[in-house]
Amino acid sequence: MRTQHSQTNKNHRFIDELTRRGFIGRTIGLIAALIGTALTLPLAVYTIIPALRRRSEDWVDILNPDQLRPKEPMSVEMVTSVRDGWLKSASVKSVWVVRKNDHDVVVYSPLCTHLGCGYRWEAERQAFFCPCHASVFDIDGRVLAGPAPRPLDTLPFKIESSRLWIIYKEFKAGTPKKIEL
Amino acid sequence: MPRRLYQWLDERIKLQPIKIKLLDEPIPGGASWIYVYGSVTLFLFVLQVISGMFLAIYYNASPDHAYDSILYIEQEVPFGSFIRGLHHWGASLMMVAIGLHMLQVFLYGAYKRPREVMWIVGVVLFLLTLGFGFSGYLLPWDQRAYWATQVGINIVGTLPLVGDLLVRIIRGGQQLGALTLSRFYALHTLFLPWAVVLLIAVHLFILRRVGPAGPWDPQKAQRIRESFYPKQVFMDAVAILLTFAALFILAAWSRVPLADRANPSDVSFMPLPEWYFLFYYQLLKYFHGPWEIIGTLVLPLLFYALLFLLPFLDHTPRRDLLSRRGVLICGGLFLVMVFGLMGVSLKQSASLSVTDPAVEQGRRLYVELGCSGCHQIHGEGNAVGPDLSYVGDTREADWLIRHFKDPQAVVPGSIMPGYKLIDQELKSLTAYMLSLKHSARR
Repeated sequence: MRTQHSQTNKNHRFIDELTRRGFIGRTIGLIAALIGTALTLPLAVYTIIPALRRRSEDWVDILNPDQLRPKEPMSVEMVTSVRDGWLKSASVKSVWVVRKNDHDVVVYSPLCTHLGCGYRWEAERQAFFCPCHASVFDIDGRVLAGPAPRPLDTLPFKIESSRLWIIYKEFKAGTPKKIEL
Repeated sequence: MPRRLYQWLDERIKLQPIKIKLLDEPIPGGASWIYVYGSVTLFLFVLQVISGMFLAIYYNASPDHAYDSILYIEQEVPFGSFIRGLHHWGASLMMVAIGLHMLQVFLYGAYKRPREVMWIVGVVLFLLTLGFGFSGYLLPWDQRAYWATQVGINIVGTLPLVGDLLVRIIRGGQQLGALTLSRFYALHTLFLPWAVVLLIAVHLFILRRVGPAGPWDPQKAQRIRESFYPKQVFMDAVAILLTFAALFILAAWSRVPLADRANPSDVSFMPLPEWYFLFYYQLLKYFHGPWEIIGTLVLPLLFYALLFLLPFLDHTPRRDLLSRRGVLICGGLFLVMVFGLMGVSLKQSASLSVTDPAVEQGRRLYVELGCSGCHQIHGEGNAVGPDLSYVGDTREADWLIRHFKDPQAVVPGSIMPGYKLIDQELKSLTAYMLSLKHSARR
C-alpha cells in the first residue's frame, strides 16, 4: 500500500516535471521563433527588393532643337550619368535626332533592332543603313529591307527651356516587340 | 513535425547523447538571473555576425565609395537603416553585456582556480571586441570615422621605439587612406570574427570541462543542483528576448549618426570616439608632454596586466565578498574612475554638441577662408590681427556683420580684407564668432 502510494506520488512528480518542462520548452521555442521572424522579414526585403528595382535613368540635356534641320538626322553624343546602386558613373552614349517638321522631333536609339549594331544615315539614299546585316530603315524608322524585326527604337524626349532632353535606354535586340532592358 | 524530424535525425545521426550533454549540465546552486549575461553576449555576437554579413552585401570598402555605399544603405535600401541600426546599437549593447558578464564573474570570484584559463580567454575576447569597435568605426568613412581613427592611431604613435613602426603597420601606409580602410575592413569582417568564434569555442569548452562556479557559499552550491535545462535556458531566453526587444526599438527609432563625407583637409572637425572609449579619451587629456606616455603606455599596460593576472593576484580559495574586500574595493575604485571620466567627457562633449549648425558652418568657413592666417583662437593661428579666442564677449552680431562686409568702414586703417560672403555665410561666421566666449569654455 505504502509503496503504491509513493509510486503514484513519484508518477505525479514525473508528469508535473514533464508538463512544466514541456511548457518551458514551448516558451523557449516561441521566443526563438519571434526573434527569427523579426529578423528574417527585414533581412529578406533588404536583400531582395533592391535587386528587383529598375535602374533609374535621368533626363539628359543634349542640344538646342533649333540646331536641327528637317530631313537631316543628326547623331548626337552625350554624357549620361548611370547610377548602379551606390556607384555613379558617367558614360558617353550617342543617339539619332531627327526633325520631322517645325514642331516635331523624334529620337532613336543608336542600335539596330536586329542585333544591336550601330547604324548610319546615308543622305543620298535618305535611309538609315546597318552595315552588319544590311537592314535599312526610312527616316521615320520603318524597316525598308533586311532582317530587322521591328522599326528603330524611339527614346522618350521633352523640350524644356528650349533644350532637348532625352532619357537614354536600351532595348532587347532581335525581337518583334520593343522590350526595354 | 519538429519532433518527428528530430526523431528521424536522431535514429540516423544519434543526437540524443549530444542533447543530454548540452542541456543536462549541472549548475551548482541552481539557475539564476545573474548568470544570463554570458548567453546574452553570445546572442548579441551572433546577431552582429548576421547584421554584419548583410551590411557587407551593399558596403564597399574604398574611400571613393564607402560613404556612398553607406548612404545607399541608409536611403535607398528598404530596412537599410534598420539593419545598420541593429549593427550599431548591437555593438553598444554587446559592450554593456560583456561589462555585466565580467562584473558578475568579478563579484562572484568565479575566475579563481580552476577557472583561471577561462578568465584569461574571456579577457582576450573582451579586448578583441574592443578591436571590433575600433576597426568598425572607420568603415563609414565619414568625418567622425576619419578623425577619430586618426586620433586613435596617433595614440599608438606616441609609444617609444615601436610607435612609428606600429602606426605604419596599422595604417598600412604613410597616411590614413585606401590601404587603411581595406585592412580595417579585413580585420573587422574576417580576422576578428574568426578569432572570436574560435575563442568563444575555447571559452565554452573550458566551461564544460570545469563547470560553472555557482554561488560563493559552498554549502548552497552543494545543497541545490539544477540542470542547465530547462530553468537556466528559460532565463537566458527571456533575457535574450528583452535584449532583442531593446535593440529592435533602438534600431527602428534611433538614427545611427552619419557625419559628412571624410574630408582630410577639414581640420575643424572635433572627433569623439564611441562611448565605450570615452573614459580613455578623457584620461588622455590629463597627460601632456613628457607625461603623455603615462596615459598611452603605462596605464594601459597596468590595466591589461591587472586584468590578465587577476586570478593570480586574488588567489585565495575563498570566493565570498567579505574575505575579498581589498580586491572588491580596487575594482570598485576602477569602475568609479571609468564612469567618472566618462561622465566628465559626456558633459564636455554635450557643451560642444549643443553648438547649432550655423556655428559649425561658421567654423568651417573660418578654416576655408584661411582666417587663421592672421587670427588666433586659443593659440592656433598667427597673431597678425586681434586674438579671437573670446571675441564673442566683446562684439555684437551687428558690428561683426558690418565689419565682415567692409572692415575699413568700421575700423579705419584695418588691413583685414573684405570678404564677399552671401547672407547665409555672414550669419554662420558671425554665429561662430559669437560662440567664442569665456562662458562657453568650461
